[in-house]
Amino acid sequence: MSTDINLLLVTDEESLKRKKRVRILNFAAAASLIGVGLASLGVFLLIRAIDPSPILAEQKDVLGKMSQLENRQAKLFILNNRVENIDKVLKIRKDLSKVTSGLLAKIPSDLSIDDFEVNDKSVIMTGQSRSLSAIGEFINNLTDMVYKKEIIKSLTINSLALDESRNSYRISVKSEL
Amino acid sequence: MNGKINADLKSLEAIYNKNKPYLIQIVIILASIILFFQFVVPQFRTLLEVREEGIEASLKLATLKTNLDVLTKVNEEVLDSQLEVLSSALPLSKDFIGMLNSVYSTAQKTGVNLGSFSLKVGDLSGSEKINDFPTVKLSVPINSNIATINSFVETVNRAVPLSEVYLVKIGGVSSTVGLSFYYKPLGSSVYSEDALVSPVSQKAITLVKQLSEFENTSISMQPIPSATSSATQ
Repeated sequence: MSTDINLLLVTDEESLKRKKRVRILNFAAAASLIGVGLASLGVFLLIRAIDPSPILAEQKDVLGKMSQLENRQAKLFILNNRVENIDKVLKIRKDLSKVTSGLLAKIPSDLSIDDFEVNDKSVIMTGQSRSLSAIGEFINNLTDMVYKKEIIKSLTINSLALDESRNSYRISVKSEL
Repeated sequence: MNGKINADLKSLEAIYNKNKPYLIQIVIILASIILFFQFVVPQFRTLLEVREEGIEASLKLATLKTNLDVLTKVNEEVLDSQLEVLSSALPLSKDFIGMLNSVYSTAQKTGVNLGSFSLKVGDLSGSEKINDFPTVKLSVPINSNIATINSFVETVNRAVPLSEVYLVKIGGVSSTVGLSFYYKPLGSSVYSEDALVSPVSQKAITLVKQLSEFENTSISMQPIPSATSSATQ
């Protein structure tokens, strides 16, 4: 008898536990199904909310207006391109007139220049004078320019000779710019 | 053998009977998980893509609106005159007329006597380097004294098309000035409709003003004095 009672008690406990499990599972199943449904609906609504179609339509409208101004756009593009490139050219191009002016200013009056050649790297000058002091002044002036780093960086005297036929001294110098 | 099978079937049946009340719920949960991965995850990916597309479209629209605003406000007449000045200073192609005008106009202004000169055009069939500045070299013989030649060099430096004096050679008999005239093609720059259109900058206005003060021979198109010129490669 006592055994029967015990068995019934066990059965009740198990039944309760099973019912509880079933309830939990029922809730979990419903929740998962509703959760998936709601997530799907939520994402769908979000997609609808951030749909870029109106923006694309407005883009098309603006592009349509811009197509009427494409001539101006092309001109502006070329203008900006020219400005950028002209700015570069003005920065990179060398002004040899400053070099020639600077060097010619240092030539004594009684020294005549026969040959003068300047490019972007060097300058070669050949001159003659009846006076040795003029030749000396010329060399001193150029040496000062090298020391002051004014226009020229170096000075080489290629030749210094007496031209007996003309009774004058001839000098040839080369400088690096 | 059959007995074993029966025993397994019985145990399976027992397990089934024991878990029968949970089966439907478990199936629903599994189905929900499958639905989540089959539908919600791809939907979420789509959401991210649409969001990205929306951000890009918004940015592009903002750029287009800015561009439209810039283009609407631009005064086309002023733009044309600015472009004319800039293009004469740095032509898109070899501007032989501009070069010759520049040389002859400078010669007239400085009073130098020009000899017959030659143009070093370069390889016309070859492709031009986009990053460098291509030039047309012009060797100008001048019969004048050293001061006048220097004046010529100074003046040509402030004339358009822009040039660089790369050589000054003054000799007893004849003198030569070497000029490099710059030009720059547009090149194959990538055009994009959503690229920002820059308005005419202050730098551009200053540059146009500076170049307008240069001796503009290309625009005035002065008649070329009769002189012999030869093109050499």
